[in-house]
Amino acid sequence: MAEPLLVIDGAAKSYGDLVALEPLDLKVKVGERVALVGHNGSGKSTMLRLVAGMLELTEGTITIGGDPAGTAEARAKTSYVPDDPVLYDDLSVREHLAYVAGLHGVDASVEDFDELLDRLGLLHRADDLPARFSRGLRQKTSIALGVVRPFELLLVDEPFVGLDASGKAALVDLLDELHGMQVTTIVATHDPVYVERVSRCIALRDGAVIHDGTATPDDVIRLVGA
Amino acid sequence: MAHLRSHGADWIGLAAAVVIAIGVRSGSRGGPLALEHADVRHVLLAPVDRTTAMRGPALRQVRFLVFAGSIVGAIAGVLATHRLPGQGAAWAACGALFGATTVALAYGAALTASGLRLRSWMGTLLALVLVAWAVADAANAAEGSPTTVLGRLALWPLHFEVIGLAGIVLAVALCATGWLLVGNVSVEAAERRSTLVGQLRFAATLQDIRTVLVLRRQLAMELPRVRPWVRVRVRGTDRFPVWTRGVRSLLRWPAARASRLVLLGVVAGLALRGAWAGTTPLVVVAGVALFIAGLDAVEPLAQEIDHPTRRNSVPLDAGYVELRHVPAAVATMVPVCVAGAAAAVLAGPSTAAVAIAGACIVPAALGAVAGALVSVIAGAPTQTGGGDAWSLLPPEVAGMRVVYRAGWPPALAVIGSLPVLAARTAARNGVGAPPAALAAGAGVVVVFVIVCGWVRTRDRIHEWWRAQMEMAGRG
Repeated sequence: MAEPLLVIDGAAKSYGDLVALEPLDLKVKVGERVALVGHNGSGKSTMLRLVAGMLELTEGTITIGGDPAGTAEARAKTSYVPDDPVLYDDLSVREHLAYVAGLHGVDASVEDFDELLDRLGLLHRADDLPARFSRGLRQKTSIALGVVRPFELLLVDEPFVGLDASGKAALVDLLDELHGMQVTTIVATHDPVYVERVSRCIALRDGAVIHDGTATPDDVIRLVGA
Repeated sequence: MAHLRSHGADWIGLAAAVVIAIGVRSGSRGGPLALEHADVRHVLLAPVDRTTAMRGPALRQVRFLVFAGSIVGAIAGVLATHRLPGQGAAWAACGALFGATTVALAYGAALTASGLRLRSWMGTLLALVLVAWAVADAANAAEGSPTTVLGRLALWPLHFEVIGLAGIVLAVALCATGWLLVGNVSVEAAERRSTLVGQLRFAATLQDIRTVLVLRRQLAMELPRVRPWVRVRVRGTDRFPVWTRGVRSLLRWPAARASRLVLLGVVAGLALRGAWAGTTPLVVVAGVALFIAGLDAVEPLAQEIDHPTRRNSVPLDAGYVELRHVPAAVATMVPVCVAGAAAAVLAGPSTAAVAIAGACIVPAALGAVAGALVSVIAGAPTQTGGGDAWSLLPPEVAGMRVVYRAGWPPALAVIGSLPVLAARTAARNGVGAPPAALAAGAGVVVVFVIVCGWVRTRDRIHEWWRAQMEMAGRG
């Protein structure tokens, strides 16, 4: 029985009297592949941002491998790919990778970077400034930055938005490969097709969990109300 | 007085040239009008005559600007009566006329440039030629700068010259031309300005200098170069990632930013030369110029602050990463200060000037970086001080804190320029000036180290402070 990597214990987030996430209890095991679904404003991004340590909890606790979310130890284990790509204005794609890898102490060669970029269909733009890319290309750059560093838990928020068909396929392959490497992934998505590939689907509605288990695309449409 | 009669018009003309140059550059980038976003979408895209639609906003804007220009000019005229012969009313009237004419010229030039769809680089070139010609005329290196006629207009109480009327005629002609071309505005530029100018004004209201800087760059389309000046190839993980990142950022600077920093360095150098000659307040001018340059020099660090999601994803203290951005900023500012030192020396060459300027380079660079670091990291001053505990302070104390937050960063840059005053005092007392500048520079280094310590440990300080306030609250 695998140990839980992520433990969410009564975690809640509210802004004044607006409840973004109801008190939530959840455990995600090492190597587990989770899809987080829900309509717009259901609390998916809030939950991911809480786990990533980007938001402060109103109540409850979240630990990653025993370390409270947001601490340096937890940040070292968690890679968060936000839905809105966060990129520097003045670095090329390759320079982004070299910088982020350097900050995380990863020993990688330019061939390693290029292989990753090639997989994501970004190699031909490696020397360009991603801040001026289209939404899809920026999303691919953001994903590359998310996986170039070491992590045990990968949080990806709406990764398929803006991606073309080949980009989508490349990302799904990458997530499959990470799953094979026993990496824990939580992907917030509206894509019912992706849900077929995962062992666990958590559905949120108005900040509360309404489903936790396996799900088919039809289930997702029913749960999300799409 | 003789000097004023012979050269006063040239120097006043230089000031007018700068104002007109700003107008030309604004026009070549879609200015001077900044319409509401909804007006751009609904009015400019509607099948109505754009000239008619744009004349109303243009008239309101020029009316206000000419009024403001005449008030400023009148105040300058009144101040002139304290030192110059002639009737106060005459100086005030001529000052007002000069202010209104200069502003009208600048506005007319902007409208005309916009209506002619003048390319941005052409606008910049035209502005540079205008200012360079005025500088050369003031320095007696050239003759016939067109803006000198505006200077003659301002000095009518001393000596009436009909040629001064040419400035007024030109201003009216340019405004009329702009008035005819106002409908030819670029919709693309108008849309960009409509979004950015509103944000810019809001950020300026909040004294958010970093946001003002970023928005101003966007307004001027001042973007990092796609191809760096010198390519530093990526060979894998960077050994010194933060330093390398800073160098790569620097190598993508657009020419306009590099030129601006050199210009600011020269302004600071000349101001410090003036301070050395006896006009002490010019130290503030130098400090402010270096502070503005410093804000550009700390750009890689500012990008970290702008992207907290990325910064917080690194399992390192924010202060650890931010401190490592400082060497690149200092390395950027030192050449800027060298340019300033060169300008100061060229303004009055001597061996002593070289020694004093050399002693002041590093302190000036460190002061500018220290000021910019504090400004960028501390962010915009907030009315409540950014925390509940501060919001409990009485308004008088909170107000003082806001003033302190706004004034401290440029003050640090001014501190970096103080070794010049130390050298001046030493020289007046018959003591060696360069050693005095070096000794004062050591004090600046101490201040810089303290600022660096704050950068590294401020999160812990804030944490400790929060814990203390919570304990006090529980108590």
